[in-house]
Amino acid sequence: MIYIGAEEIISPLGTNAEVNFSALKADVSGISLMPGAGFNHTDLHLAKIKDLDPAQSFEKLIVTIMNSLSERIDNSIIRSDRTLVILSSTKGGLYDDIQDPFRAVNEILISGFQLAHVPVVISNACISGVLAINTAGNMIKAGLYEHVIVIGCDVVTDFVVYGFQSLFAISNQPCMPFDQNRTGVTLGEACSAVLVSNTTSVFKQKPYSLLTGTSANDANHISGPSRTGEGLYRSVKRTLEKNAVQAEEIDFISAHGTGTLYNDEMESIAMDRLGLTAVPLNSFKGYFGHTLGAAGVLETAVCLQMMRHSTLIKSRGFTDPGTSVPLHIVTETKSAPLKTILKTASGFGGGNASLLIRE
Amino acid sequence: MKNFITTYCHISGDTCSLNGKVLATLDTSSEDGWLKQLYRYSRQTYPKFYKMDMLSQIGYLASGFIKSNHVTELSEYADDEIALVFANRFSSAESDIRFQKSYQEQKAPSPAMFVYTLPNIVMGEIAIANKWYGENMFAVLPKFDADWYVNYSQILLQADAKAVLGGWINISEEKPEAFVFLVEAAESGVEFSTDNLHSLSGID
Repeated sequence: MIYIGAEEIISPLGTNAEVNFSALKADVSGISLMPGAGFNHTDLHLAKIKDLDPAQSFEKLIVTIMNSLSERIDNSIIRSDRTLVILSSTKGGLYDDIQDPFRAVNEILISGFQLAHVPVVISNACISGVLAINTAGNMIKAGLYEHVIVIGCDVVTDFVVYGFQSLFAISNQPCMPFDQNRTGVTLGEACSAVLVSNTTSVFKQKPYSLLTGTSANDANHISGPSRTGEGLYRSVKRTLEKNAVQAEEIDFISAHGTGTLYNDEMESIAMDRLGLTAVPLNSFKGYFGHTLGAAGVLETAVCLQMMRHSTLIKSRGFTDPGTSVPLHIVTETKSAPLKTILKTASGFGGGNASLLIRE
Repeated sequence: MKNFITTYCHISGDTCSLNGKVLATLDTSSEDGWLKQLYRYSRQTYPKFYKMDMLSQIGYLASGFIKSNHVTELSEYADDEIALVFANRFSSAESDIRFQKSYQEQKAPSPAMFVYTLPNIVMGEIAIANKWYGENMFAVLPKFDADWYVNYSQILLQADAKAVLGGWINISEEKPEAFVFLVEAAESGVEFSTDNLHSLSGID
C-alpha cells in the first residue's frame, strides 16, 4: 500500500493547508485585479501571494514548505537515503536564472536539508504535479525509495503572464471554469507539498491511500487540447482499470478546468466517454488561478483536506453550464462523505494524467 | 523479461551518428544550418519541422533516424505502447531566452515562441508526428543520470509500455548535445543497464 498525506499549501489564501481550506469553505478567492500587471501595463486578474518579493521567490517558497512539511512528518526521514525529493514546476527560478532555472533550488535543498539524493525536477507543463505524485508512488512500489516528498511550485512572472496574453488565453474576469461565459485562464502562484510513503507511522496525521495512475498524450496539438479528449480518456480509463475502481465508486472529481473554451469542453467530452458525467466535479482554479506546475500537487492537497473534513467544495466561478456535455458541477459547498477521489490534469504538449486517492 | 537498447542516435554540434556509426557531418560550406542539413539528409517531409524550436527539431530528427534504422516496424507496437522518457539540464532555456527577447527587445511577446517554452513540448511533437498516445516524462537533471532512465523506464516497461524512447537533449551555446535511444524486449542489442547506458551515451 502507498500512502499520501502531510499536505501543505502556501497560496494567496494562506500559508498552511488548514488556513487555505477554511478560505475555500468560506468561498474566498485568491484572485484579484492587479493594476498594470499585464503587457503594456494593462490591468489583469492574477492570484498573487501578497508581499512576495519576486527575487528568489521560487527557492524561498520551497524552503518554507520543506520546513513546514517537516513539522507534519517524522522529520528524520528527510535526510535518509531511502527518501527522494521530487519538484514539480514549469519555470522554476527563471526570474533569477533563465539559463539554468533549477540549479539554485537544488543546491539550496541539498545543503539546507542534507538530502541524500539530488532532487528530481519533473517539468511536463500543467500535468507535472499529477505525474510527480504518480512517479513518487511508482518509485516506492518498485522498491527504489521508501518515502518521496513531492513539491509543486510555480510563481507568476512577466514571462508567463505575457506569454499567456500573447496566446489570448487570459480571462478578462476571474476565471470561470466550465461556465458558458468563460473566456480563459487566470494565472496564479502557489507552492504545495505532500509526502508519499509506504509507512503510515511517518505521518503525524492520518494519511490516505494513493492509487497511482497513468499518463497519455493526445498526439494532437502542442498547445491545444484534443477535440475528442482522447488522451484524458485513455489516461483515466487505464487509471481506473489498473486499480480495479468502477466509475460508480468515485465520489468526486477534481478536474483540471482551466476556464478556456477548448480545455473545459474537451474535459466534458472525455468525462462523457468515461461515463463520469454524474460524478460531482469541480475546478479549484476559481480560487487559486492556474498555478501551472504547482496545480496538480496543490489540487491533490486540497482533495486530501476535503476528505479530512468530509466537505465538497463548490466550483467557484461556475453559474451556467457551458460545455456540450453537461457535467455534475458542484455549485454549493456542503458536507459529503468522500471515500474515493479522482484527480486529473491536462496540459501543453498534449499531456494528460490522472490519479486516485482513497480513504 | 530482459530489455535491450536496440538503436541509439547521437547528435552533436557537427556530427550525427546512429549506433556509433557516423551518418552525417556538418557541411560548413552549406547555407543551411546544421539541423536543416540533417532534416534534408533524413529525406522526411514534415513542414512542421520548420516551426519547431531547436529542442523539438533535435528530438524529431533523432527519433526519425532511430525509426528509419529499426529492424522491425515500430508501428507493430500499439499506439500507446511506446513511452517517451526525456531529460536535460537546462529545461527550455534556449527558447525561453528567445521569448524573453521578443517582449523585452521587440516589444511584442511572440506566441509562436512562447509555446516552445516548456521542455516537454519536444515529446508532444514526437507524439504528434508518430500518433503515439503513450506515457510521457520530462525531467530536468543536473547531469545525465543513467540510473534515472533505467529506473523510470523499468517501471513503465513493467506496466503497459512495450518500448521506451529515451532521450537526453540539451542545447548549450546554440549547439545540440543529444543522445536518443530505444529500449525494448528484443532478441539482441545492448542490455539495458545503468553501466551500458552510461557508456553508450558518451557523456562524462
